[in-house]
Formats: sequence, structure tokens, C-alpha cells
Amino acid sequence: MFESYIEDYNEAVYEIDKEGAIEVVEKALQEGVTPEQVVFDIIIPSIEEMMAEIVINADTNLAQHFMTAQIAAEVTEKMLAKFKIPPEIIGRVIFGSSHGDLHSLGKRIVIGCLKSMMIEVIDLGVNIKAEDFVNAAVEQEAQVIAISSMMVHTATGEEGSSRVRSLLKERNLEKQIKIVVGGAPFRFDHELYSKVGADNWAADGVTAAKMIKKLILEVKT
Amino acid sequence: MTPLEILSATILGEPTPRVPIFCNLLDQGARTLNMLPKQYFSKGEYVAEGQLKMLKHYGHDNVWSASYVGKEAQLLGCNKILFSNNGAPNVADFVLKSWADIENFVIPKDITQHPQWESIGDCLKILHQEVGKTHPICAYVTAATSLPVILMGMDKWMELVLVGPTDLRDLLVKKCSDFVQQQLSAYRAAGANVIIYANPFATTYFLPKKLVVDWSMPWMQQDLKGGIDNIVFYGGMAPINTVTELVVDKLNINIFYPAPEDDLIESKRFIKGNGLTSGVLDDIKMIHWSPEQTRNEVKRIMQLGKPGGHFLFGTGFMPMALPEENIIAMLEAAFEYGSYE
Repeated sequence: MFESYIEDYNEAVYEIDKEGAIEVVEKALQEGVTPEQVVFDIIIPSIEEMMAEIVINADTNLAQHFMTAQIAAEVTEKMLAKFKIPPEIIGRVIFGSSHGDLHSLGKRIVIGCLKSMMIEVIDLGVNIKAEDFVNAAVEQEAQVIAISSMMVHTATGEEGSSRVRSLLKERNLEKQIKIVVGGAPFRFDHELYSKVGADNWAADGVTAAKMIKKLILEVKT
Repeated sequence: MTPLEILSATILGEPTPRVPIFCNLLDQGARTLNMLPKQYFSKGEYVAEGQLKMLKHYGHDNVWSASYVGKEAQLLGCNKILFSNNGAPNVADFVLKSWADIENFVIPKDITQHPQWESIGDCLKILHQEVGKTHPICAYVTAATSLPVILMGMDKWMELVLVGPTDLRDLLVKKCSDFVQQQLSAYRAAGANVIIYANPFATTYFLPKKLVVDWSMPWMQQDLKGGIDNIVFYGGMAPINTVTELVVDKLNINIFYPAPEDDLIESKRFIKGNGLTSGVLDDIKMIHWSPEQTRNEVKRIMQLGKPGGHFLFGTGFMPMALPEENIIAMLEAAFEYGSYE
């Protein structure tokens, strides 16, 4: 029975059927599945499933990534309010688009995935200065700064990830705070992340969330 | 043969001395004239002068009338553009703040009378006079299904396309399509002879194939009901090979500008010896290549693309961070390896 919820939910997400996905969750709750099970046994595995699908199936698209993340975040938020014991948060991320960059789609995809993976996100918005990323990370005791850039000059510019790296170095924070970057320019040049001083990058939102989780756990151990 | 004759002959599959070589230099124009981008883009005369100077300096085949993509948003009411000294200008204020604004959104009755068209018209007039008979003059038009991205932001538009009310979605696309048709006519009348018709929302990188077939294609037919002369289909740097056959079949377009990720051999197969497809160099990677690496990549693309003709060598929208020596190495190699003689 439980397997059918997973199957139906995944199918709805894959078909970008938001209403269908929510109906599956509601049906599961009515039939005795707990909110905790919904998050940990349906939503998170669904994200993992999409990740696996990206690797083997080149036909997955941005629309599916976007809706997977949005549905996951929405359902998770609703379920968290119903948890018997508040879940343990894995870690904290400061998120924003780099200075001069006003794009927000990629950011929303990754944030959606992170929220459903029990990672707290502080979204600074778009067009964020390097200093603001670092100051927020220190104030909020975040383990990762995630910087989204959709244009070459904002990805490689002096006010982007490179500057965040310099600031972390100057303030001796490199062990406590890691940098992850993403966005179109990094998709074209897979080595670009290291040239702008980031610790890692990801080609899509779902993989980015997993990457960020890994870095958080590294910092915390 | 002039570059324009080479391009026309290549499309028809007639003999040419070399492959057409497109180098999309836009933002570099300001630096060429020792201006800041905001000043450079303020007048069509400056943009034309920058294009002509770069054409003389580098010797590639094409010039650009478009100043920046955000210009389309300005024609539709955007009042704020974020200029950067290191890259492309960016839309800084969305015309449509929410879906509720769509109902009252109005497109200009005649864009050629819009103050924002003045610089485009002035630029095209000069380019047409100077090189209109010899060189391809490119214009950039965003398709109706993708245009809302610069009007409301990618995420809001994606949400409306995927889960929003379809009548509201299509109302906006209808308005955008009217604007696209106006732009196509205006560019053609002003002398643009290559129109890059960009539609990321007709690629399976962005949308599921079903939506591309059932929704994007009919709107593209609407956009292009005035004809497909000089139209080049472009996915906005998203791969297009998965939809190329569909575009040929539904729209009769047979000129393509794929992404660097697209398999060039496949791209060539899809056009079936008609029209033209392009081998596009990854100019983001080129930022960190050596001149020798750049030459090798040009050689590789030419070796794949040249057999059978119907082939153009091109770049993305050359980032400003590209080293001058790489641009020169790329073009030298393109002329050397692109020769059919």
C-alpha cells in the first residue's frame, strides 16, 4: 500500500501535476500515514529519485526540477507543522544571487529541495554583495554560502564568489563556511567553480541540494 | 564573394570559398569606443560605430543591430536597466509584478514610434548604409512563449506556464506574439537580414516535449505567420537537437543555431541537407583556454561541420572576460580551417 503512495507521488511530480501530488499526500494522511513518513519516506526519496533520473534520462527538464522542488517544499512545510516532535535541522545555508544578477529561478529550485531535506535556508534575495553573504553567514552561523549566477560577468566578477572567498580567507573562516555556486555559466565550464574560489558546484537544483548537504556535514564533523 | 553572398550560398548548398564565420560581439562595443556601456547603448550611432569598428578589427562576417535583450522589455514598459561595466545589461525592474497585471498589460500600437526604438532604428540605418549589401546584419527577437521571462522573471513565468490558469497564460502570450510580429516586421523593414528567433521555452531543456508540441509550436506558428524569411531558430543557449526535426516539420524553418552541447553531427543530420546549421563554440570555456586550445576547438568544430556544407561557424554571446588573444586565435583558426579551397 505504502509503495503505491510513493509511486503515485513520483508519477505526479514527474508529470508536473502539482494537484495530483498533493492529492496523493492528502490521501496518504487520511489513510493513516504520518506527516513524518510523508516527508522522510515519500518526499525526500522522490527528490533522490529525480536525481537518479537526471543521471540516466537526458529528457528530464527544468520544468520538472522546478516543480519537484516547489511541490516538495510546499508539502514539507505543511507536514512540518504537523510533526509530533520538531525535526532536527541538519544545517543552515545563506542563499542569494550574486552581485549584479537578478535571476531567481535556479535559487528557488535549490531552496525548495533544501527545505524538504531539513536544511534551513536564509534567502538574501538577488543582487547580493559579497560582504552581505559573509556577514549573514557569520551572524546566522551558517555552514554554506550558496551563490547563484546566471551571467558570466556576475559568476566571474570581482564582487561574486571570488570576493566571498577572499573575505572568508581574510577573516579566517574557510574551515567553518563553504561556498557552493550554480547557474548557467558553470554548466558550460565545469571547472569554472574552482576558478571563482568555490568549493563545489552542481549542474541542477536537485544535485545542488545534495552537494550542499554533504558540505554541511563535512563542516560539522 | 562577400560574407552575405557566402551565407546565402551556404544556405542553398552552393559552392563557397569558406564557411560563414559569425562572432557575436555585443558588449565589447563600449570598450572599443572607450565608453561606459550606459553611454554606449544610449545611442544607435554609438552601437553602429562599435559594430563597424569591431568588424574592421576582427574581420568576421556579421554585425548586430540589437543592443541588449532588455531592450525588448524597455519597448514594453520596463524603466530600469542595470548596466554593468563587465557584462550584458540586465532587466532590473519587471513590468509585470504579478499575474494580476497581465489583464491590463498593453503592447505599443507601433513599436517603431516608441522612443526606445529610436536607437535600434538609428543603428540599423547606419549598418544598412555601410554594410547592408555585403554583410549579414543580425537582429534578436525573443519568441512569445519566452518573452514573459523578461517581463515578470523566469520563476513567475515558469509557474504560470506549468500550474497557472491557462487562459491568463495564453492571454499574455497572445499579447507577446503581437509584439513579436511587430518586431519581426520592423527589423526586416529596417534592413536586418538575419533574425535570431530565440525560444528557450520551445526546447526540452526547459519544458516537457508534450508542452513544446502542444503549446510552444502553435504559438511559434502565430509569431511567424508573416513568414520565415531570414529566421534562425535558437534555443537561447539551451540544446535544440531534440526539437530540431519538430521545428522543421511544423514551421518549415531550416536554419538553426544550436547550443555548444548539441551534437553537431546530429544537428547536421536533422536538417537533411537543406538550409543551414551551426557549430557553436563554447565561449564561456574559451575564457580560460590558451590560444592553442582555442585553435584546436575551432579545428574540431570545422572538421565535424564542413563535410556536406550547409554549415556555419559561430559563437555564443562572447563574454567580456574573453582575452583578446583568444578572440584573434579563434578567428584566425576559423578562416584557416573553415576554408574549402
